[in-house]
Amino acid sequence: MATPILQVKDLQTQFTTHDGVVRAVDGVSFDLYPGESLGIVGESGSGKSVTALSLLRLVPNPGRIVGGQVLFRNDDLLQLSDEEMREIRGRDIAMIFQDPQSSLNPVLRTGFQIAEAMLAHQRSTRSQALRRAVELLRRVRIPAAESRAKDYPHQLSGGMRQRAMIAMGLANAPAIVVADEPTTALDVTVQAQILELLADLNHELGAAVVMITHNMGVVAGLCTRVLVMYAGQIVEQGPVEQIFEDPQHPYTWSLLKSIPRVDAVRHERLRSIEGIAPDLLRPPRGCRFHPRCPFRVEKCFSDDPHLIEVKPDQRAACWVTMDRARAEMGADDLLDIRPGSASGVQAGRLVE
Amino acid sequence: MTAEALVDVPQPAGASAPALIRVENLVKHFPAGIGQTVKAVDGVSFDIKPGETLGLVGESGCGKSTLGRLVMQLIPVSSGKVFLDGVELTRLRGEKLRQKRREMQIIFQDPFASLDPRMTVGDIVAEPLVNFRVMRGRKLSQRVQELLRIVGLNPNFNNRYPHEFSGGQRQRIGIARALALNPKLIVCDEAISALDVSIQAQIVNLLEDLQREFKLTYLFIAHDLSVVRHISDRVMVMYLGKIIEIADSVETYSSPKHPYTKALLSAIPIPNPKIQRGRRLVELSGEIPSPISPPSGCRFHTRCPIAHLPTPCADVEPPLEEKRDAHLAACHFSQDV
Repeated sequence: MATPILQVKDLQTQFTTHDGVVRAVDGVSFDLYPGESLGIVGESGSGKSVTALSLLRLVPNPGRIVGGQVLFRNDDLLQLSDEEMREIRGRDIAMIFQDPQSSLNPVLRTGFQIAEAMLAHQRSTRSQALRRAVELLRRVRIPAAESRAKDYPHQLSGGMRQRAMIAMGLANAPAIVVADEPTTALDVTVQAQILELLADLNHELGAAVVMITHNMGVVAGLCTRVLVMYAGQIVEQGPVEQIFEDPQHPYTWSLLKSIPRVDAVRHERLRSIEGIAPDLLRPPRGCRFHPRCPFRVEKCFSDDPHLIEVKPDQRAACWVTMDRARAEMGADDLLDIRPGSASGVQAGRLVE
Repeated sequence: MTAEALVDVPQPAGASAPALIRVENLVKHFPAGIGQTVKAVDGVSFDIKPGETLGLVGESGCGKSTLGRLVMQLIPVSSGKVFLDGVELTRLRGEKLRQKRREMQIIFQDPFASLDPRMTVGDIVAEPLVNFRVMRGRKLSQRVQELLRIVGLNPNFNNRYPHEFSGGQRQRIGIARALALNPKLIVCDEAISALDVSIQAQIVNLLEDLQREFKLTYLFIAHDLSVVRHISDRVMVMYLGKIIEIADSVETYSSPKHPYTKALLSAIPIPNPKIQRGRRLVELSGEIPSPISPPSGCRFHTRCPIAHLPTPCADVEPPLEEKRDAHLAACHFSQDV
């Protein structure tokens, strides 16, 4: 396999609040390969966005990266000076945010803002940069790019603003594009257009894409590998097709079963997950998913599971895994989804 | 063009069972600057049968939330009629309307904004019962505890405040409040859109259980077609203030009769990489036009992949008519979809 372009090792990001320390990202490690499209999925509070922000050292106060490494081309980004980090941002690693409305400057023309992103990193004249900005707007398929470049952000629709943000992200031909829920605020038909655009750019430009999303459908369409996060940690990772076909972590498995499918043939009751995600001020001991897991065993209450290879290229952090849950606990026919229902292990205190 | 001139929608089919809700030629125009109006809902007719879940989908600005509020009479109609159990709500005023409203409740999208932060959960759930002087004292507090239990909350939580609960739990509080007066109809306006997937599934399952137990009728409004399809018996699709298709929810997916519905379905990513990669997106050109000056003829013609231009699509408005058994669509060329 190729050498990774980005290596994240044991990343720890914390928020210090009045009530205590929230370990939003707690020991996350992964590799990103050149040109690949990696999905990071999880629900609110899973730490997926904070992971993305940590890569670029953009974690807002009171958050702090307290440990780990982010290796990019042999440099640890966490050790760079602010000045050096500014050089990396936008030039080598670009970020696309969820809300283009608040990430564009309302009082500057769209084309100028894109040109500005170039002038910050490259030696070119203002008029060259502006010309290139129009080209980029054309590239992200904004119609009448020439005149749109002169528009202010409020004159563009939501979809066009997100295209403009992507154009800005591409301005310096970055090696990595980190997209944090880039389509969540958009209507579904516009979302589909933006996803197609991102897929094309990923193929054409060869930039590696890190896609942060809560939407499993988005991952299925765009990504080749996926990391599933829960309560600040990666619980499962692997090639997209494998993870969707044969998830081994009970959380991934339950999550996939709780999504209503537009192509479902008949009406089946949705498999929800009981309870709520844990409070990261006081995360549960042992496996963080055990208070909600139907397949938990005694060990899950006390011992923290580590990511281990469960299938070729597929890693899961679970003492049981779904293969065993199927063989020994009849997981496929399970109707009762209460914690411990399949394993019969009811001990311990429940979250709710 | 006056509002009346635009109204040529026929009565929906399947009027055999008496409808719980009947909507006829409903119009809502909002003033928008001098001489301009936003045609939010522009001539809409449909029925909801007792015990049914009717799904209402469409993208931002199509008028789906306005339609939900019109059905509830939370905002006055510009013209048209709404009947609840044969009683014309649009004619009722004052106390008579207030009494009739007991039979209709709404659950809102944002469980953070729709609960008063200074009221305890018990007071929030009790409020409709107090308002209508249904019960008080010990009976009231027993009923509140019962309602909390019904929606899956600990009844002893009645002295807590909304901020002590998660999003999903707050949505359960909103549901308990909606159930308090034993309504016939509940309008769910994006009731699960703000929730995480695993919590969404909990609430969808709860709504389905409650429907069975209390014989509820739902108007389920959402932009997420996969959730709507899951929970609904029939699905209604809106575009720019008009209903463009109504059909059985399974049939809507398997054989849509309007090109917009088809495009909308093709845009929803399916959480299965093998299927999703093989799908083709029906790409719509441009974006939704302004509801201030909607396109002539069929409102979808400016973005339609199969439009015959200029005629008839740009100058004749297609009526919402039956294309197949109880499957209505408003398209001149529905056979080509």
